[in-house]
Amino acid sequence: MKRQSLGRGSSSKKPTSLSTLFSLSKNSTSSNPSSSTSGGRNSTLITGTVVTSPSTHISSTSPSTHISAISPSTRTSLAKDLSSYKKKSGILSQKSSKSTAAFRSMPPITDGVKLEVQKIINSSNIVIFSKTHCPFCQKAKDLLKSLNVKFETFELDLNDKGAEYQAALKDLTGQGTVPNIFIHGKHLGGCDDLLKAHSDNSLKDIINKMADIPQYDCDLIVIGGGSGGLAAAKEAANMGKRVTLFDYVEPSPIGTTWGLGGTCVNVGCIPKKLMHRAAILGESIHEAKAFGWDVPEKVKHNWQTMKNAVQDHIGSLNWGYRVQLRDKKVNYVNAYAQIVDKNTIKAIKKNKTESTMTAANILIATGERPRYPDIPGAKEYGITSDDLFSLPYCPGKTLCVGASYVSLECAGFLAGFGLDTTVMVRSILLRGFDQQCSEMIGKHMSNHGVKFIRGAVPTKIEQVEKGEPGKYRVTAVASDGAQIVEEYNTILFAIGRDPCTKGIGLENVGVSLNPNNQRVVVDASEKTSVSNIYAIGDIGDGRPELTPVAIQAGKLLSRRLFNSSFTTKVDYTNVATTVFTPLEYGCIGYSEEAAIEKFGEDNIEVYHSYFMPLEWTVPHKEENTCYAKLVCNKADHERVVGFHVLGPNAGEITQGYAVAIKKGATKEDFDGTIGIHPTCSETFTTLHVTKRSGESAEVTGC
Amino acid sequence: MNMVRTISVHGYEALTKALSGIQGSVYILFSGSQDEYGVSWCPDCVKAEPVINKNLEKAPSDATFIHCHVGDRNYWKKQDNEFRKDPKFLVKCVPTLLKFGSPQRLEEEQLFKDDLIQMMFEED
Repeated sequence: MKRQSLGRGSSSKKPTSLSTLFSLSKNSTSSNPSSSTSGGRNSTLITGTVVTSPSTHISSTSPSTHISAISPSTRTSLAKDLSSYKKKSGILSQKSSKSTAAFRSMPPITDGVKLEVQKIINSSNIVIFSKTHCPFCQKAKDLLKSLNVKFETFELDLNDKGAEYQAALKDLTGQGTVPNIFIHGKHLGGCDDLLKAHSDNSLKDIINKMADIPQYDCDLIVIGGGSGGLAAAKEAANMGKRVTLFDYVEPSPIGTTWGLGGTCVNVGCIPKKLMHRAAILGESIHEAKAFGWDVPEKVKHNWQTMKNAVQDHIGSLNWGYRVQLRDKKVNYVNAYAQIVDKNTIKAIKKNKTESTMTAANILIATGERPRYPDIPGAKEYGITSDDLFSLPYCPGKTLCVGASYVSLECAGFLAGFGLDTTVMVRSILLRGFDQQCSEMIGKHMSNHGVKFIRGAVPTKIEQVEKGEPGKYRVTAVASDGAQIVEEYNTILFAIGRDPCTKGIGLENVGVSLNPNNQRVVVDASEKTSVSNIYAIGDIGDGRPELTPVAIQAGKLLSRRLFNSSFTTKVDYTNVATTVFTPLEYGCIGYSEEAAIEKFGEDNIEVYHSYFMPLEWTVPHKEENTCYAKLVCNKADHERVVGFHVLGPNAGEITQGYAVAIKKGATKEDFDGTIGIHPTCSETFTTLHVTKRSGESAEVTGC
Repeated sequence: MNMVRTISVHGYEALTKALSGIQGSVYILFSGSQDEYGVSWCPDCVKAEPVINKNLEKAPSDATFIHCHVGDRNYWKKQDNEFRKDPKFLVKCVPTLLKFGSPQRLEEEQLFKDDLIQMMFEED
């Protein structure tokens, strides 16, 4: 037990869930299940009052009858009504008068506070931020009471965070005073604005008309429970929105399936990095001898032990996601979802039962699955990364087909376990990555026992022996037409991944796909060709296929969708990444060849150097293997447009520099930075050899 | 009505003994033991207990629920006690509710929430 009860239950305790801020009776038109749960534990935080008299004004809309009766365009026209109303009353113009001296003395506004305020705004049809002793607040409340409409009040002066909330409100609306009134999530203004709206008869219209917005089962349906879908669902739920998330894992051809969390958690980054770690440890055991450890000559690796430990960890992550979703009141459904129309999905459960659900917004985040070559025996006898990490038996002698990072990473750790490992490459290694660094990775792998067959593709796979593992004969053809035949225990295909955009009903609503790769065409705000349907993660055309990218996209999308004042979009440039081959490779920005193509050879200066990690000296590991390279644009103050590092812990090195590159660091900035000694990363602060000079980038001595 | 079988044990030895030969799903609640006045030294355990008990009816009827009292505060605070070290349990804090042999576990404040406890008791 980490904490004692001291302090718990006092008013200073931060509410764990904002939905518990209100345990007040709800407007009967609200069908938000998440806001209707009352949290007795936080009852001390309830500061508002509410008119509980039965309302006839806005409870007349029956959600079920309005789904089909209200055209979607009504929503936009209503929004326009409100904004033109606000313009008339001069509310919008207040927004420009920011940052007065009095305001500067207020506490800083964090995103978290803004989110909390937004959640309060979304929690009811009419919300008034007020102060208990403010006569104008009282006036506004009295007016609404007289109109017999339900509303909720948040008394800023009774809440510890009241001042922060008020500052956030000022930031959100331009209005720093109370009462601050919101109707259907839209800012109306203060007491005068309310009275004015009442006197010109527009108030009832605003309240009633807005209540006519079509009612859906949820605010957001997310299809796909991977990194992106989960992030979007959780963020929307944080803002008090009703969210349903569908996740369904289609078993691989050999029947592998997994839990909630998508590729990264189950069959990607997480098991890959852990198995990479297992291989690195094996290497370290041998090096340990040089450092004085008495290690037996022969150390053995046990596949099952590792696989079980990795799968146990994945199991706890799967469970953790389910806990998070349940805790945030996201409705998680383990079913295959298909879009029927722009607001409706059909969900098919494993037992084939079908149901439908409606939502104002739909997010597609279905990700990708490994591609198989169209050759005899591929699906019958081959496996992919979907299967490898949970393989119940040691794969034995393995052929990795493809030169993608998936292929090289898998080959790298399999060889690290001492398995006979071959990579079959059609043309180049790591297409899209810096080719000099890619070839250096290949060379390092070759030196560490991985065999490469270059310029060849498999043409058929035949079973020689059944078993775990079995034995298979692979026939391949080289570019010169020569036939290559070899037997392996396991054939792993890692030739690319296809987006899961088929069979989910995109054709029913006309979501546009790029015909060349079947990825979803999206704009900068992740919107598809259908206005209320969005797509994030690996299925987005032209998007980097990386977990943190999908998470950022999901999080920001939900904030933009459910907080009208939030406009930040994902910055897709200079996203750092790392390939976890035995010699790790981290990079940011342009490859050398892409930079030359973009900026012109004359404008590109490349600084580079090999380096020798101090830890490698004692066990006498190979020299001139680890490498640092900066690609700079001479036409722009030698701004660093490409960062490349090959060496141990490249991911840890690269992440920090990603901030520098994002801030537009130049070569001079790198030179002006003092290094940490003795590290690998310090190499980047002392790079002086340019490729143009023709001098050697090799290192000698210390 | 068919209800989950409930067992109460004190200490590590008693728990391992109780586990031997049990069929079906097993849920274990680890909480701080009570003192001579019948009060647990762990306030969160006291708070979690009624919430868990209320939801026990949601557990599968063939399941066993073991309430394991881990011992006094001094014993529990030892970072190398059996509950923390045994790879079958790896208990990090009390209260912890776990489904034995699965990655499913709930800890501390999570055990004040009906929703989460019900999710654990539900069949997958």
